[in-house]
Amino acid sequence: MHFAPLPYLDPGSGSFLIQLLIAALLGLGVAVRASWGKIKGWFGVKPKADDEDDEPESK
Amino acid sequence: MKMTSPNQNSGEAQHAAERQRGQLSASFRDPSGFLFSRGGILYRQVNRKYEQEYARFMESGLYEKLVKAGLLIPHIEVDQPPADPTGETVYKVIQPERVPFISYPYEWSFGQLKDAALATLSIQRRALKLGMSLKDASAYNIQFVRGKATLIDTLSFEIHKEGQPWVAYRQFCQHFLAPLALMSFRDVRLNQLLRVYIDGVPLDLASELLPFKTRFNFGLLTHIHLHASAQKRYSGADVKSRAGTMSKQAMTGLLESLDSAVRKLNWNPGGTEWGNYYDITNYSDAAFEHKKQLVGEWSARLKPALVWDLGANNGVFSRVAGEAGAYVVSSDVDPAAVEQNYRQMKSEKTENLLPLLLDLTNPSPSIGWANQERDAFHGRGPADMVLALALVHHLAISNNVPLPQLADFLANWGKWLVIEFVPKSDSQVQKLLVSREDIFPAYTRAGFEAAFKQRFNIREAVNVHESERVLYLMESLE
Repeated sequence: MHFAPLPYLDPGSGSFLIQLLIAALLGLGVAVRASWGKIKGWFGVKPKADDEDDEPESK
Repeated sequence: MKMTSPNQNSGEAQHAAERQRGQLSASFRDPSGFLFSRGGILYRQVNRKYEQEYARFMESGLYEKLVKAGLLIPHIEVDQPPADPTGETVYKVIQPERVPFISYPYEWSFGQLKDAALATLSIQRRALKLGMSLKDASAYNIQFVRGKATLIDTLSFEIHKEGQPWVAYRQFCQHFLAPLALMSFRDVRLNQLLRVYIDGVPLDLASELLPFKTRFNFGLLTHIHLHASAQKRYSGADVKSRAGTMSKQAMTGLLESLDSAVRKLNWNPGGTEWGNYYDITNYSDAAFEHKKQLVGEWSARLKPALVWDLGANNGVFSRVAGEAGAYVVSSDVDPAAVEQNYRQMKSEKTENLLPLLLDLTNPSPSIGWANQERDAFHGRGPADMVLALALVHHLAISNNVPLPQLADFLANWGKWLVIEFVPKSDSQVQKLLVSREDIFPAYTRAGFEAAFKQRFNIREAVNVHESERVLYLMESLE
């Protein structure tokens, strides 16, 4: 059992760094997907529309 | 002798000044502007400091897009004098559409919190496309408007600088992902942690409470468990030099990952207290229909604008009152009933119903800074009409509240009261008495009427068909 909240313990820095780390990793995935999409494009496969503004909005 | 320090005096003076300007206490932290109320209308002052962001927000088309998608509360710019009497800080005064009833995340069912989380992410994705970013991801900025999770803080956006990480990432994890994961993987009642932790569930706590298997869930492993460890490990580390290093693809990946982590979390009602209540009640269809008919007639005649249905279960009678045009807050203590109510509301696209989780024996208190940030439930009233159907026996017998106290309580909550008296001979009441001594000699129809006459005029009393129950229409004496 530990009781962390010391008055000067700031969770902000850790959140910041882990965000950069996770995002860098996930960004790679996005990049790979994008290039794969391009390759498929050369062979005439159309990409799926991912524009959110085209989503039908339920009211 | 009462001692007052000068500090306290100036604090009080400042408070008094804020109250005089009508500034509301929920928005004091935001340097971009604040809410104030004048003549019963709610306005938001946009500060000069926020001029650039506000202009960009309106001109980029983001405002219009979000409003069209039902994700943002619409507003109009008005010519009202600003709340700041010197006018020095003011850029504009806007009047947002009024939200019919303000509710808080600890009063939402699982599905409501999940939809609020997804709406927040959807707003952030749309904002980034137009060069802006949410600077807050607070669950308190989302309200249910026309049945849909909607952002109500128009000043939540900042101009996105290329390479900047999402400043609201931690807040999103604390306000949404952590409580949803706990509700889904541990116990749905853990949403009550939000009542204690006003800025969301601390991630070290969430990480400790979540079962070990959640470490094999990529979203929860990264955004909760590793996130919590990083917070501890890098506390106080200087990170300023790393700002500006997040690529656009990284941001897309992060938001997609949060979205999929939230979407994968589920909780299904069933197996709790009232899940199938209407199948196990003792009353006949005729009694049920008669009650519906009476509630419908009285709502149509009195035309209440705001109805609070207390102990609403899955909202059958709330819908009857809603058909007469009222906005109905349909509350129950059971998370399964509230979830079912919300799902039905969504599938039927009902716009004037708000299912809420509320324990009447311990209703939401006012919480936050100076106990003024989030209002108590009763502080958000009074209602025009209160429905208390099949409720009295639970409060009077299970919770041991004497009838006169119950009458006092309900008289403060609304002008009109539709209340059902369930006598001791009723089999449901007999069930409650099985495990306890009958210390309720005053719990009779005569005792009930005598107690309520102290606070109400009894306008009508109708015996419900094929039952021993009585339905009353009462008007508060105040």
